[in-house]
Amino acid sequence: MTLLRLAFGSLMERKLRSLLTMLGIIIGVGSVFAMLAIGNGAKARVLDNFDGLSARTVSLRPQWMGNRSSQARPYRRFNETDLRDLAALPDVEFVSGNLQREETVVAPGTDWTTSVVGSDAYYLRQRDMEMSDGRNLMPEDLEFGRTVTVIGTAASRRLFGQSYPVGQVVTVRKVPFEIVGMVAEKDGEIGWQGDVNDFILIPRTTARSRLFGNDWLVRNQIDNIQVVAKDQAAVAELQRNIDYLLRRSRGLSAADAPDFAARNFAGVQQRQAESTRIFTILLASMGTISLIVGGVGVMNIMLVSVTERTREIGLRMSIGARRGDILRQFLVEAVVLCGIGGLLGLALGYAASQFAERASMQRGEALLQTVTDVPTAALAFGSAVIIGVAFGYLPARRASKLNPVEALRHE
Amino acid sequence: MNPEMITTSELRKTYTLGGQTIHALDGVSLSVPEGQFVAVIGASGSGKSTLMNMLGGLDSPDSGSVEINGQDIARLGQRRLARFRNETLGFVFQSFQLMPRQTALANVALPLSYRRPKPTDAREKAAAVLGAVGLGDRIDNKPTQLSGGQQQRVAIARALVGDPKLLLADEPTGALDSQTSEDIMQLLVRLGREGLTIVLITHDLEVAEYAQRVITMRDGRIIEDRMNNARVAA
Repeated sequence: MTLLRLAFGSLMERKLRSLLTMLGIIIGVGSVFAMLAIGNGAKARVLDNFDGLSARTVSLRPQWMGNRSSQARPYRRFNETDLRDLAALPDVEFVSGNLQREETVVAPGTDWTTSVVGSDAYYLRQRDMEMSDGRNLMPEDLEFGRTVTVIGTAASRRLFGQSYPVGQVVTVRKVPFEIVGMVAEKDGEIGWQGDVNDFILIPRTTARSRLFGNDWLVRNQIDNIQVVAKDQAAVAELQRNIDYLLRRSRGLSAADAPDFAARNFAGVQQRQAESTRIFTILLASMGTISLIVGGVGVMNIMLVSVTERTREIGLRMSIGARRGDILRQFLVEAVVLCGIGGLLGLALGYAASQFAERASMQRGEALLQTVTDVPTAALAFGSAVIIGVAFGYLPARRASKLNPVEALRHE
Repeated sequence: MNPEMITTSELRKTYTLGGQTIHALDGVSLSVPEGQFVAVIGASGSGKSTLMNMLGGLDSPDSGSVEINGQDIARLGQRRLARFRNETLGFVFQSFQLMPRQTALANVALPLSYRRPKPTDAREKAAAVLGAVGLGDRIDNKPTQLSGGQQQRVAIARALVGDPKLLLADEPTGALDSQTSEDIMQLLVRLGREGLTIVLITHDLEVAEYAQRVITMRDGRIIEDRMNNARVAA
């Protein structure tokens, strides 16, 4: 207690110098704290998505070949045959093929431009959505090209307000569709696609033949296909099988550039986590370097302080201070210096991580999520205290080893 | 006759300074009974400061022994020596050696903070001692707000606060004018009369005359040891 007061007093005597000395520690602790906060945030997000349906999904979409226009060949679209073949692959739980356009949907008295999805019964399952009223699409709807639709809550609110949509009729490109079901609201994720609940779902066949209207060009065309594996461990193998299957059906050798892209969301996540990790490592090395430089600064200033106060040390020894007392006095002073720096650093780090989260906001979602909690703060603060002990020890030891006779005579 | 407070025998200490060997102490044997006020006088380089450092356990002899209050301090370890300085000794220095940013009271109470177990009444004790040296109304002043004489009184109070058996004063009047010196010396004489053993190091004969016994040193040896009859009688 007395030692703490003593240390505070002696630091307050040299306010500016103490503050400047602390700067390295402040920056160091700040970046260590920000690093931990961002790293933990990234980890939490990866874990969040890890066991989700999206991690088991391989998304297929066509890809333009070649970069220069002279070599460019148009991509081939997927078709119903691809879909059937993919569904037959091992470890596939289900597949879903979609066509999707922005269309104006007309209800009595109003209209609303929304996403019109031509798909199948598995569309909702793949997106982890459930029915709340009525029925989902059925295989027969696709077989007979029925003009039925399942509506998302956001689209329903726009078109029908609070009234019950099931049984009503909406018109898309002059084709009337009967609403046979409504999807339960899925919350969160107002992502880059807008509100996930803003869509209507119709049979793929109907969409092709009645709405998007170019079926004479490529029969059975599908824009993109979602293949969902039975479990996550099978995804890598499945991705290889898909690649092999599609290359064979398109007559591409293993060396050819594919005209399709197969993406696994978990892989995207992992790449994102990887880049976050690199950022974290950058911050960590900056923090470590800053802490070490700060520590050296603390050591330097403590050595200066010991020299300046040589007579004080001599006096303290002559009135009965043990070497241990002197050692402790200077060590506590260094630790207090680093401790104050650590607290300021925590404030800085908190501000910095909040800033990073806000600055990385893109359409409502932060790319850098941060987790700031007490253990993180304790760890960052602890590193400052450890620096204080490590770099304060040498000057403190030097102080305690002074010869009292010479110390008293020191000018 | 009182028991001996200080007994040294054949104290020797040599320094090597710039290739030359200097006999700071060259066989000093001395004994001082309890309650005596001794002045050690000599020119600079005569070894008087080295002697004081030996008596204070700040320096150790090459050979010989120093016994103070029955303890052979040359054989004490660091911790025991620190405890000995804290409990048995009081130091007064020429340059006062006060903590400039602490109050007189805090300065005086400082030695008690190193005492084990820690006394709970340190502040009261320090205030009482400051009162006894005539600074009862200055306890909250910082050294820079005090005159030289007052600062030296604070330093003396600091030396006395731990109830020492032996007061070691190294040129206590060296930085003071003659009137203030006289006051400080009167204070020391009073303390001597109250039973404290005092060893005063000085190069000033006039100051030495306040002591009961005057020891003269030259080149590390005692060349004269006389009782100051005027003072012994007084």
